[in-house]
Amino acid sequence: MKPTIVFILLFASFSTAFSAGNKGKIEVPLRFDRYYNYNEVITALQVLHEAYPDLTKLEVVGKSEENRDIYALTINNQKTGEEQSKPGVYVDGNIHGNEVQAGEVCLYYANMLLTKYGENEKITQVVDNNAHYIIPVVNVDGRYHFFEDAHTPSSSRSIRVPKDDDGDGLFDEDSPDDLDGDGSITQMRIKDPFGNYKVDPEDERILVRTKPHEKGEYTLLGYEGIDNDGDGKLNEDAEGYLDPNRNWGFNWQPPYVQRGAGNFPFSGVGLKAVNEWIGKRPNIIIGFAFHNSGGMWLRVPAEESTSIPQEDVAAYDVIGKNALKITPGYVYMPSYQLYPTYGDFDGQLYFVFGIFAFTGELFQRESETYRENANKPGQQEDRGDNTERNREQLQFNDNVTQGELYKKWEKYNHPVYGEVEIGGWVKMSSRLPHPFMLPELVHRNASVVLLAAANTPEISMEIFDVKEVENNLHQVRVRLKNKNGLPSMSKESVNKNIHRQDILKISGGKVVAGGKINDIRLNKVDYKEKKPEVQFLSVPGYGNVEYQFLIEGKSEITVEYESLKAKNLKTSVKL
Amino acid sequence: MIKKLYYALLTGFLCYLPVSLFAQSDISFNKYHSPPEVQQVLKQLQQGNSAQTEIHTIATSPGGAPVTVLEIGKNLQDVPAVFVGANFEGNIPISTEGALGLAKMLLDSSRYTKNLKWYIMPLPNPDAAKGYFNTLKYNRTVNNFEINNDNDEALNEDGFDDLNGDGLITQMRVKDMQGTHIVLKSEPRIMVRADATKSERGEYKIFNEGIDNDGDGKYNEDGEGGINIGISFPHLFPYNKKEAGQWSGQAPEVYGIMRFIFDHPNIAMVYTLGSSDFCLVPPQGGRKGGANLQNFKIPSRYARMMNADPNKTYPMEEVIEKVKELLPPGTEVTPSMVAGILGLGAAVNPLDEDLKFYTLFSEDYKKYLKAKNFNTERLAPAPAKDGSFELWAYYHLGVPSFSMNLFTIPKVKEEKKKEAGELTMEKAGEMSTEEFVALGETKIDSFLKTNNAPDRFSGQGVIEMMQSGKLTPKQMVEMLSKKDTDDKKDAPDEKNKALLAWSEKEWQGKGFVPWKKIDHPDFEEAEVGGYVPYLENTPKPERIDSLLNIQLPWLLKLTEKMPSVSIASEKITDLGGGVYRLELFVENSGYLPYPIAMGQRNNQPSPVIVLLEGDVKLLEGLKRTPLGNIGGNQVKKLTWLLQSNKKPVISAKIESEVFSPDVKQIKIGG
Repeated sequence: MKPTIVFILLFASFSTAFSAGNKGKIEVPLRFDRYYNYNEVITALQVLHEAYPDLTKLEVVGKSEENRDIYALTINNQKTGEEQSKPGVYVDGNIHGNEVQAGEVCLYYANMLLTKYGENEKITQVVDNNAHYIIPVVNVDGRYHFFEDAHTPSSSRSIRVPKDDDGDGLFDEDSPDDLDGDGSITQMRIKDPFGNYKVDPEDERILVRTKPHEKGEYTLLGYEGIDNDGDGKLNEDAEGYLDPNRNWGFNWQPPYVQRGAGNFPFSGVGLKAVNEWIGKRPNIIIGFAFHNSGGMWLRVPAEESTSIPQEDVAAYDVIGKNALKITPGYVYMPSYQLYPTYGDFDGQLYFVFGIFAFTGELFQRESETYRENANKPGQQEDRGDNTERNREQLQFNDNVTQGELYKKWEKYNHPVYGEVEIGGWVKMSSRLPHPFMLPELVHRNASVVLLAAANTPEISMEIFDVKEVENNLHQVRVRLKNKNGLPSMSKESVNKNIHRQDILKISGGKVVAGGKINDIRLNKVDYKEKKPEVQFLSVPGYGNVEYQFLIEGKSEITVEYESLKAKNLKTSVKL
Repeated sequence: MIKKLYYALLTGFLCYLPVSLFAQSDISFNKYHSPPEVQQVLKQLQQGNSAQTEIHTIATSPGGAPVTVLEIGKNLQDVPAVFVGANFEGNIPISTEGALGLAKMLLDSSRYTKNLKWYIMPLPNPDAAKGYFNTLKYNRTVNNFEINNDNDEALNEDGFDDLNGDGLITQMRVKDMQGTHIVLKSEPRIMVRADATKSERGEYKIFNEGIDNDGDGKYNEDGEGGINIGISFPHLFPYNKKEAGQWSGQAPEVYGIMRFIFDHPNIAMVYTLGSSDFCLVPPQGGRKGGANLQNFKIPSRYARMMNADPNKTYPMEEVIEKVKELLPPGTEVTPSMVAGILGLGAAVNPLDEDLKFYTLFSEDYKKYLKAKNFNTERLAPAPAKDGSFELWAYYHLGVPSFSMNLFTIPKVKEEKKKEAGELTMEKAGEMSTEEFVALGETKIDSFLKTNNAPDRFSGQGVIEMMQSGKLTPKQMVEMLSKKDTDDKKDAPDEKNKALLAWSEKEWQGKGFVPWKKIDHPDFEEAEVGGYVPYLENTPKPERIDSLLNIQLPWLLKLTEKMPSVSIASEKITDLGGGVYRLELFVENSGYLPYPIAMGQRNNQPSPVIVLLEGDVKLLEGLKRTPLGNIGGNQVKKLTWLLQSNKKPVISAKIESEVFSPDVKQIKIGG
């Protein structure tokens, strides 16, 4: 970095317009008309934990590349049972360092569960019935730098493992530079009579492409910056790039197949710690990872060559189709339809841990409206020409956010290009809602997590038929019923032997035969050949399974149901 | 100049061959070293050469054993390195000995450690490797990682059981009406699958020796451990195998190894001692599902950007042109780049360019072994497994990856006495009836006997049939050869033949446990028997030393093929006005290119940079210029346009993680 730039950085104001000013003390209930930087997220978690010590546990999952702590908040009501005896709900966010509002969704979810516990019936139920595991910020280094340093809305996304992106033997040596010292990396443009852009006559901030044979006014020079390494290219080797959502174990592919994969699975140490932490909680059955942007609920699989059983698609739909209504305008689809990925988080959760995993892509820029009837679509956009839309967005900026999202083009004397202009959408724009829109976003998305939690398996067991079929031989029938939409384990887990199946176990009597009832009216039973007293099974969502046992002798028998992901049950009957 | 002198000295060293490769210390290779003993040997080697060596502990196995790497050449800076790993599956103890032997060779003679660093890892899978030294042996390949293989309520509850008490887990054959196997008629020790099309009906079921400990109807399905380190690296990671773990690197050994190797970008070649042998048999191709880089469709999300039709198939050259349009002018676009940008997928077959050197070296290796009177008529080494270390090294690191199998069993030589002038089947088939009959009864008798004719065929009978026109020599030969093939079908296959012969010759028959009835809780008629574990790949300890001495030096010799990049010469042209053209000739004096084709494809090997420093202005060209790919024995020219009025001395320097820095002082403007 040139000394002049250091000078500018040292003496200029860093903060963007709306992060300036008093954000208020961090206290319970948390406020969501603001963003929390990395340290403030920790404080927010601490105040929640201090306010609800009986319901929460705050722990450090592991350290990041730059030695920052990755925190997890566990919400569990000890009075209703041990954490791992209940279906687990996992929520994380901000695995991409720049996608910060994902952290606020996690904080909001925690804040909502805790502050409304005992007041709202639905919330009280999920706090009592489930264990909630919340990691608001996975990429702690990314979030830290996103707030502290100058960035575009899309940078500081990577895990902080240096990579030589431009193949010159140096690592991360040519990042964009905040030349005008405003805390954002925006665009550079230069006056150029042979340029292929001209200003929009209605709004001179907008550049539109010239038509053939039309005289140009500007050339776009890309992101704000200088050629730090003097190789004739600008900003071509910024931090990373190791994409934290391509570095997980399942179906991982090397970086030459997929950029950003990292050299090997879990080469990111923070990710490795998070993975191990999840692995130690086999009760987790549903998982959410929040990202931005676009407004999407994405499910597995992440690439077309893998497929998942129809039963699991149906279970996903229970959540996904309702989520669409809670977050209007979002789409719900398998993530390969967006683009194929390998080694992503959702795949690891679903294929390795048997967890129904969703990616929530937060925020739709279309919601930044400046028009009379917000329900009507804005001006139709021609392919490749967004001028109308750009005008509206700028008017939204000017009149709804008081100019906080856009940096006006201003002259700057560039060491290589000479006089240029710097301006454009600031760091806290484009992919992030303005703070005034944040409360609705966090609430709606946290409500989807709540809906999923309310749909985790709730199994009841009954011995519904006991009769003596012969002298000294009893027929005992057991029914396991699931009142919720998610099964007690995914079909994929059953088919691929991913983890231990649910167990139905009879003790206290000699089980001569036992098996699943396939047709109760015709008394068709699929008797298990060996060890009939132990049955392996799973209970489908909104469904039931029935088992029949033939038991010799007259005694009190005990029936136990054990599940990794649903609550264990026990009952007994005297024959 | 200094460099040249250095090379001259090195060349001098090439003439020196150690008399005994194990001269200096008292470590001997007449036994197999248990995992703790291996650590002892490493320590001994390290302490005996402390200036030169260092032991790195890179992981701890779930069983609590260290995974260690012996670095030879810790005193060397800026030199290429060779990584040697052995016995990843834990069931080939001789490969661990090989790694130790190699370390000793390197420390006994300085010839291959002058400008080359070595990282030697004899025991990446210590938990499995201890299986060979246990009183109960079963060819263990997995570590102590906890895996509930049958997903029931218990862990490791149904392993093998030594029913006949011989300390070996062999096989169990059980008489069963629904059996799948029958006894091979010609060799009753061997069990073969019954072939219903030949009216064979199965009589036996085959199991591994054991009982159904957990009573679930399955035998030995959930024994101790674990993950097999030898199949859990990320290239073609076998997700469907429980013993690979659930993802690559789940086992701490694998994770630690990958971390160590990526932390050492100076590693420019990788050796694997184990079951495959890329020295002898080049890596296998022919796998489907790899990226097609010749003709392919452009994924729709890029097609629009590139003005292309997503439904059309384009040749690579055309796509390169389309990609170029999207990039700054002059950007070099290679097929590998296109594959990466468009996400065309992974390489699953060795690249043609690389197969050339693999093939050539394997031919050289065969000659080398022949010259050492080493019997190469052996059972073929196993192909590299999906998820193996050697495949990962090639496909993901992009460096030359050579594996070596130090011992396979000799084949049984076909004993067919051929006397001069003997009548062959081929010749007989071409004869006319008259000619054949004219041979006379004695000769025909002997011909029939040599060719295993059925007893009912006698010389006299054949002559009679031929004279009455019922049989021609051609028909006779056809019948005989059909009988011959049928006989062969009934004989044990080549591998069984070799194993049985080896058991007889080398182990006095103890390589095969004769089938013997045992008491089994579940079966009325069960026998235990079969090959003893480790027979196939573990020779008697007294053979180790000679096997290592013959084969390992090849791995040393192969390092002579490594690329070596330096500045060959330069040319300055004075263009006037203080403007000069500098042409720098960079040479690779090694045989192998840098990187190899796979390294060019995956872009993983670290780049070679030519760094220009001095008081000049660069009119054209960069201060740091990536050299790019350079072929073996190739010279590559780099050009700069400089401007200076001071006639300065500038320096050009090779900067690389792999190659030694080579600096050239260049006087500009005479």
